[in-house]
Amino acid sequence: MTRALRFGLVAIAVAALITFPYWSAGWESSRFATTVLRDVLVFAIFALSLDLLIGRAGMPSLGHAAFFGAGAYAAGIASQRLGTDQLPITMGAAILVATALALIIGALVVRSEGIFFLMLTLALAQIVFAIAFQWTSVTGGSNGLSGVGRPVIGGLDLTAADRMYVLVAVVFIAVALLLSRIVGSPYGRALVGVRENERRMRALGYDTTRLRLSAFVLAGAIAGVAGALSAYSLRFVSAQDVGIATSVRGFVMVLIGGAGSLFGPVLGAAVVMYIERVLSSAIPVAETVLGLVFVAFVLLARQGIVGVGLAAWARVRR
Amino acid sequence: MSAELVFQQALNGLSFGALLFILAAGLSLVFGMMDVVNLAHGAFYMLGAYVALSVVQRTGSFWLAMVVAPLALAALGLVLEPLLLRRLRGRHLDQVLLTIGVSLVVVDQIGVVWGREVRSLAAPAGLDGSVALYGGDYPLYRLFVIGFGVALAALLSYVYSRTKVGMRIRAGVEDAEMLGALGVDTDRLFALTFAAGAALAGLAGVVAAPVFGLQPGMDLDALLYSLVVVVVGGLGTLGGAVAGSVLVGPADTFGKVVFQEFALAVIFAIVALVLLLKPTGLLGRIRIAR
Repeated sequence: MTRALRFGLVAIAVAALITFPYWSAGWESSRFATTVLRDVLVFAIFALSLDLLIGRAGMPSLGHAAFFGAGAYAAGIASQRLGTDQLPITMGAAILVATALALIIGALVVRSEGIFFLMLTLALAQIVFAIAFQWTSVTGGSNGLSGVGRPVIGGLDLTAADRMYVLVAVVFIAVALLLSRIVGSPYGRALVGVRENERRMRALGYDTTRLRLSAFVLAGAIAGVAGALSAYSLRFVSAQDVGIATSVRGFVMVLIGGAGSLFGPVLGAAVVMYIERVLSSAIPVAETVLGLVFVAFVLLARQGIVGVGLAAWARVRR
Repeated sequence: MSAELVFQQALNGLSFGALLFILAAGLSLVFGMMDVVNLAHGAFYMLGAYVALSVVQRTGSFWLAMVVAPLALAALGLVLEPLLLRRLRGRHLDQVLLTIGVSLVVVDQIGVVWGREVRSLAAPAGLDGSVALYGGDYPLYRLFVIGFGVALAALLSYVYSRTKVGMRIRAGVEDAEMLGALGVDTDRLFALTFAAGAALAGLAGVVAAPVFGLQPGMDLDALLYSLVVVVVGGLGTLGGAVAGSVLVGPADTFGKVVFQEFALAVIFAIVALVLLLKPTGLLGRIRIAR
């Protein structure tokens, strides 16, 4: 495939994704499909940010929901308290709060690795959840934060479902582009180097702790963006957004789809959202199915759908 | 705070600490032996509580529940370890991930079998009253929890240091591979250890049920606190579980009195301090951070 052809195909796919509500308008289930696809993309952003940690830097965070939730609450609270739905302000608040929280938690956890990293991110994020859950006067506690406004950009109102979708899709594309640039950059290579052999990277003069912290904060900030989009989309922030269920969901998405690839987490987000949104209305034990699927992938296909697909493709080509 | 209140809260803190010890002892044991942090530990705790609820509903005997629930959890552990974890021997992180899947399934199935409402379990007859203690009435059951925790710690410490099984466990914690080379069946030892950890989680679920009740989300609370205890106290040692629970139990209880909704910020601060100043935990040997 030539570069130009490849670029053309990607451009068509991107355009099709962004304009989905318009060309699907004739379908009977267009509205439902748009809503589901919007939520898939929100979680795809979340999963992509988490994969920067799991798949690239080798930091298996089980507390990533803390930043998703922080972004969601910050956007929601900013919209309510400041009385404005201007996207730069509420999204700015989300990024700011998520980044600050990621700095605090990151500073504590980046010095650990593997299982310990997983354990600490889980524990610290769960403490953040409990505080959000109990701080009723600000977060609404177990009732959640309802009545979050849809954003406006200047005079452009994004309240309508199709415009909200376009915003999510555009941000998704932007995040995917940003991450693909990052993982290909010297910085991204250095992160992989830290994962593969931290000692050697240090000997080569890299400040590995700082590299790990920067990845953690960057991933946290992007998760905050996803959280804000979730708050706008659902007009609601639930305490569960900060909780371990959301962290686990992100982790499952990355692993099922395939860690360390851009396409994997997106595919994983689609699979998990399918199980939770579509399958759960058909059968009452969707969580059990999700758990079993996850166990099966860890046991049999740790490289995820994308990894299995690539391996199969390589075999066919040979 | 009056002296009476401080005294009462100190007892509350100790009884919470005793519960945390039962929980954390199992988590720490499994980690020490298998290098696996069992993230289904909270789900096992929850299952123990619900099994106890069923036993009490059928037979009316809390004491029978205290035997049946840990046995049921041990049986589950004996099935799960060979079925799932053993296949990933040596891949510790993947084993941990596996336990996430297990906990999703267990918690969801608990909801299917027992429903998702808040339930309660009465303290056993004889322990459901209260006693006059230093200017106030104090629930007898909580005193029992403290005594039970101390007795269990003593028993476990005896098993660890004086019995053949304990010797093998200590050897396995030190170097499981070498133990296998010396002719000990480590597959069996690992399965038994995992079962014992699950049984301890189930036991904690039974003992905690009359105090905290049964509700969705209790698995996560249990997991969070047991992780905090082992991080603070130190992973893989019995002393670490004791030290962690004796510190975290009262700290959390007093934190709730003083800071109310920000009580967990106290716990956060303790974890942060331990990580920064003593990354092995108070009595542990394993560094969890550089």
